[in-house]
Amino acid sequence: MSEVNEESESIGMPAPTAWPMVSAAGVALAAVGIATNPFISVAGVMVLMVAIGGWLRELTPGRGEIEETWVPVDQRAREVVASSRRVAQPRAGLPGNRSHFPERVHTYASGVVGGLLGGGVMAGTAMLYGVVSGRGIWYPINMLAGIVLTRFDDVSKLELERFSVTAFIIASLLHLTASALVGLFFEIVLPTLPKSPVFWGGVVAPLMWTGVVYASIGILNPLMSEHIVWSWFIASQFAYGLTMGIYVVNAKKVPASHIEGASTADGRDHESQS
Amino acid sequence: MAIAEPTIESPAPPLVTRLHGWVTTVDHKRIGLMYLMMSLFFLVLGGLEVIWIRMQLWSANNTLVEADTFNQLFTMHGTTMIFFVVMPMIAGFANYLIPLMIGARDVAFPRLNAFGFWMSLFGGMILYLSYFTGEALYGAGSAPDVGWFAYAPLTSPAYSRGSSVDYWILATLVSGVGTLTFAINLIATIVSMRAPGMAIGKLPLFVWMMLVDAWLIVFAFPPFTAAQVMLLMDRHLGAHFFDTQAGGSAILWQHLFWFFGHPEVYIMALPAFGIISEVVPVFSRKVIFGHTTLAMSTTAIGFISMGVWAHHMFTVGLNDGLDAFFSAASFLIAVPTGIKIFNWTATLYGGRLRLHTPMLFALGFLSMFLIGGLTGVMLAAVPVDWQVSDSYFLVAHFHYVLFGGSLFALMAGLYYWYPKATGRMLDETWGKWHFWLQLIGFNLTFAPMHISGLMGMPRRVYTYQAGQGWEIWNQISTVGGFVMGAGFAVMFVNLLWSLQRGRIAGDDPWDAWTLEWATSSPPASYNFETIPIVRSRRPLWDKKHPEDPDWIHE
Repeated sequence: MSEVNEESESIGMPAPTAWPMVSAAGVALAAVGIATNPFISVAGVMVLMVAIGGWLRELTPGRGEIEETWVPVDQRAREVVASSRRVAQPRAGLPGNRSHFPERVHTYASGVVGGLLGGGVMAGTAMLYGVVSGRGIWYPINMLAGIVLTRFDDVSKLELERFSVTAFIIASLLHLTASALVGLFFEIVLPTLPKSPVFWGGVVAPLMWTGVVYASIGILNPLMSEHIVWSWFIASQFAYGLTMGIYVVNAKKVPASHIEGASTADGRDHESQS
Repeated sequence: MAIAEPTIESPAPPLVTRLHGWVTTVDHKRIGLMYLMMSLFFLVLGGLEVIWIRMQLWSANNTLVEADTFNQLFTMHGTTMIFFVVMPMIAGFANYLIPLMIGARDVAFPRLNAFGFWMSLFGGMILYLSYFTGEALYGAGSAPDVGWFAYAPLTSPAYSRGSSVDYWILATLVSGVGTLTFAINLIATIVSMRAPGMAIGKLPLFVWMMLVDAWLIVFAFPPFTAAQVMLLMDRHLGAHFFDTQAGGSAILWQHLFWFFGHPEVYIMALPAFGIISEVVPVFSRKVIFGHTTLAMSTTAIGFISMGVWAHHMFTVGLNDGLDAFFSAASFLIAVPTGIKIFNWTATLYGGRLRLHTPMLFALGFLSMFLIGGLTGVMLAAVPVDWQVSDSYFLVAHFHYVLFGGSLFALMAGLYYWYPKATGRMLDETWGKWHFWLQLIGFNLTFAPMHISGLMGMPRRVYTYQAGQGWEIWNQISTVGGFVMGAGFAVMFVNLLWSLQRGRIAGDDPWDAWTLEWATSSPPASYNFETIPIVRSRRPLWDKKHPEDPDWIHE
């Protein structure tokens, strides 16, 4: 591209050329010939060769560029000037123009760690059920793995009570990932919720989650739907929610800018309608 | 400030001269507009096909079209909408806007850029040429009827006589090369032609997302091209890559196809995310919330999207380990996508919202894409996928993602940047009619498909028996299809009417902040008289508010 010369009346720009279109037409003809008649392909290749030659000539020095004259001054863009609109001052409870909402947040790490801790307590609760019910600690783990392991769909209860390396790995991955992500999600949405976060994390979320699972478990995990004991399921959800909620709420808060990587607003809001 | 109507100083050149100007152009803006016009043309064709589909499914045992014709209709509809509507529309926006947004006079390879457009257009023409061919290789000529995914061994000469499959292969092959050249040009342009001061971290989000998008194209399209060449060799040279009768593998085609096909979903979604990231802050009068996390989550989506292709193949019978890996990866991709939704919502929060048509479409995108994303998370669970795969539930899901997502966002972009490209505003009243017709029609069309899918209606069936409870849902869908059609008709009228009679837009009708609004509407061929110098992510804000520029905060 040419250098800009403010003194000149024009600027060098690429010249219009038909060769790209002719080249594409050559390729298209060559392609169509495959489905119709080889002679069309031959013609297409010949067109393509001619077009490539023409295209290459466009690239030689002194060709392929034209001088575009500057458009008249009255058709040019107007100079961007300072706006008459004021940048509105902040109002209580509303975020500023470039502020982060909220100003102070829990770290992502606290959400993940809280989620993992909650997941640990939840797993303990589920395994306690396995012990109390006499089915063993691997029973809930195998049922969780049934989300992925389709071979568990038609095994006996006895097999579900046995240890399986694959099921253990898959269930652990699922459980740890879900626990960490739910904790992270909770940490992110926590500032947007009304007061009493432990209530949200420890009571509302487990009830909602249990409702969702109750409604969809038949499709999501047919194996679990047959064997699930809802009282224990809800207990393990509460164990997760309370542990994670308490941990996250008590974790140290940092300015949102530490996470976002930019400074928080100094109190300026969006533009007012002036 | 009132803006005077431009005065006509000289008569317009003859039509042939003007057409010649378009055919030979290497101006990225004109090429962008040609991509958009091509996209809208094929949108009409794809829309007509789907209207036929919906009319056929209106009632049980309907005989409006035969089974073979129905197969052709859904194949052509899918292929058209993906390769010749959404992709060209994305290429159109990117071509037109990116040099303007980064303060460049042109693209890196203007001729290659033009070549890419013509390849895409000729690809579309090859596809539709199939309707007009008669006798061909095996004595039959018709439109492709193997689905937009063209699974082997259905595509082998034994099962697909004639040249219909060849037309599908050649059309997508040719347009794919065009898409690849577009992506290479885009990467080179963004990397090497930014205005002084515009570091990578200061790129407008649309540009950043298009950069990731272009890389996805570069990684995803070549394997698909290779697969198509292999299929051509199977069909014409006696090779057996996918011929199960001779030691080939039909599953190999699925792997190669979906290795392209799933990134392709994100190739279509990321530009939509970019458009939303430009529209939402301007119409909320606020800075985008979490620029960095939006950019990083885009990169994360780019990486993860390359590793989820086999979730389209859960019902193939891969082993549990593979299913588990791809299931987990599919769940994982919801995280960066969720971060984006959160960021856009946080941008809206506390903003001074201006509900003009672009913003309405952006809000429509947010809600529809969220629904599509949630059903996507459901489908990432293998047992759920086993239950509803190849049912209308899946059809509903991907339409909520690709139509409710991509196309709603692209409509937002159309209404947002039309003034820049034409110098005139689109009519707001018609725009709102378009939005509401499209939103209502869309939900009427696709929401019932969740239900009919869960009730067991398989996709791709040309008719069904009465008494299965599917009729009412299909009828609602068909009505919705017509409502949507009316919405698009309003859009076309608006586009054409406003071109001549729309309100004069001026340089910056939305009071926006990125560089494209610093040029005239429409811009001169060289874009900028003076190359702008950039100090922040919102260069126009800095000029409009020297008392509070962004660069002191970034």
